[in-house]
Amino acid sequence: MLFLAIKNLVQEKTRLLISVGGVAFSVLLILSIQGLYQGWSNKIGEYIRTVPADYWITQTGATDMFHTPSVLPLTVRDFLAGVDGVGSAKPFSGRRVAFAHNGKDINLYVIADDTENNVGAPARVVEGKSVPGKGEIIIDRVVGRSQDIRIGDTIPVAGRELKVAGYSEGGYILSFSFAFATKEDAESILQLPGATNFFLVTVKNGADPAAVVSRIEADPAVDAISKDRFVENNTNIVRDTFLPIILVLLLIGIAVGMTVIGLTIFTSTIEKAREYGVLKAIGVSNRQLYTVVIEQAVTAAVLGYVVGAALALAVSAAAGSYVPEFITEIRWLDAAWILGVTLVMAVAASLLPVRRLSRIDPAEVFRA
Amino acid sequence: MNVVTVQDVSKTFGSGHTAVTAVDHVSLSVEAGDIVLVMGPSGSGKTTLLSMIGTLMSPTGGRILISGQDISTLSPAQLSRLRLQEFGFVFQTFNLLSALTAEENVMMPLLTAGVPRKEARTKARAALEQLQLGHRLRNLPRDLSGGEKQRVAIARSLANDPRLILADEPTANLDAKTGQDVTLLLCGTACRENRAVIIVSHDQRLRTAAKRVITIDDGRLSTEEAGEHNLHCSMHPEAAPA
Ligand SMILES: Nc1ncnc2c1ncn2[C@@H]1O[C@H](COP(=O)(O)OP(=O)(O)O)[C@@H](O)[C@H]1O
Ligand SMILES: [Mg+2]
Repeated sequence: MLFLAIKNLVQEKTRLLISVGGVAFSVLLILSIQGLYQGWSNKIGEYIRTVPADYWITQTGATDMFHTPSVLPLTVRDFLAGVDGVGSAKPFSGRRVAFAHNGKDINLYVIADDTENNVGAPARVVEGKSVPGKGEIIIDRVVGRSQDIRIGDTIPVAGRELKVAGYSEGGYILSFSFAFATKEDAESILQLPGATNFFLVTVKNGADPAAVVSRIEADPAVDAISKDRFVENNTNIVRDTFLPIILVLLLIGIAVGMTVIGLTIFTSTIEKAREYGVLKAIGVSNRQLYTVVIEQAVTAAVLGYVVGAALALAVSAAAGSYVPEFITEIRWLDAAWILGVTLVMAVAASLLPVRRLSRIDPAEVFRA
Repeated sequence: MNVVTVQDVSKTFGSGHTAVTAVDHVSLSVEAGDIVLVMGPSGSGKTTLLSMIGTLMSPTGGRILISGQDISTLSPAQLSRLRLQEFGFVFQTFNLLSALTAEENVMMPLLTAGVPRKEARTKARAALEQLQLGHRLRNLPRDLSGGEKQRVAIARSLANDPRLILADEPTANLDAKTGQDVTLLLCGTACRENRAVIIVSHDQRLRTAAKRVITIDDGRLSTEEAGEHNLHCSMHPEAAPA
């Protein structure tokens, strides 16, 4: 009966357009927000993943780089180096610093580029110097572009004038971005005399990581967090912000999609009540008629989904180059579950028309 | 065996002092090849009787046998199947599906019965060509004249090789000449293929085609006479008597 469903849909072009448009809008909304969530999660993790460490050692209770402050005395390094199974232990210093430049607020996560220990280098430098010199800083290209800060410009970072020496990439995270200064400059900006924020620990080949962790955590002042876990803790911040938004938009999207499909299919069913009555009279079973209506809803929904998904892909490709915050990643998995939701929504929207259909009396078709 | 046996059937709508008895103790049998013209004034119960024979409405009294089977024992799904396979319906208002072409309208009962698409198309074409609609296959109902629409409806009613065709005032929305032509076409086709037809109509000229003429008055069967039963089998050149 699919052919009848499609013929009925195509016959009522305006109504089809409305229902496809409604579903497309919902899919665009949900897929984009899900794509942003995924994109931002990845972005936050991107730099942290490049930092060479098996374990991040934090001040007890600190779980991530952004929300929970961690300050450790440099003396912890000797303790860590002495722990059986630890290959290396290097300090990693960095935190958010805010300042105004040309009347605009700028938020940098300043990291000490410790060339001696080979820790805290930018992931990728795309322009200018790749290692900051004294009084210099490397900033993310996105910030350079959006705030009109050029290489060679001077910016006041926490009261110190630093010259921008290069642009790095991949460190732009929504409200702030990673920036890299020499160890000495960073220490004075971050105000960390004799202290650092984290230690990066590698585990010796053949050593049992779990045993190493428990030996490190024997010191009640520190926690050892595996690299994967640490990345996850940081990206969870995005998840916690996003999930409620996604949930709300999902509900709005489902409501819009269901209403539009439900109403268009329902009015079409009422208008065609007589034709459905004729079909009943000539021997089409109720089951087959219900199928026609459900197929109409599902076809409209699938068309809407295709249009919405195509729009979401186009928007995410186009918007990213204008709005740096618009970092999206549309995954097959997300596309699939959203398709699933769309289909369920279409079937649910058919329930009312199906009920209407069940009440049509085929004897009526003999009445002129 | 009779195609239809109506035994002492009544139909009362409503109850108490508003009750209307539309069909009042009617008995009737129809055999294969019968062409029965049902006449009677408006409101006499013709449509109600036809609806009950067509299993679209159940009687409040008596029983109806289709090919010997009491239809009150059948489930709604079985009745659906019965209508699909044994009956063809022709209505006063044509009742074609507006989104489908002439050809697709005729394919509809075939597809519903599970006939493969290609075969359904071939059959639908042949049926329409037989009714001189070969040039209208791809037209939507809104582009067809009344007579053409009714011929499409006749092709649709014949699609599944029904044993019985039920036509309720098939000519009422057509001009006299077209109405008669179309009905004679239906009777001729049915007669050649040994199908039974029950036609409700006011058109006296259909007496020429009918084998039996039944008159209903106020829900009761008042008279039954023989029709002239000529011409109709030879309406079509192929079926012309030697
Ligand atoms: N669904 C119904 N409910 C109540 N009364 C009905 C219904 N259908 C028909 N009737 C009544 O039954 C009688 C016969 O109607 P009908 O069978 O349509 O007659 P005809 O087809 O001969 O004009 C009429 O009085 C009509 O008002
Ligand atoms: Mg009537």
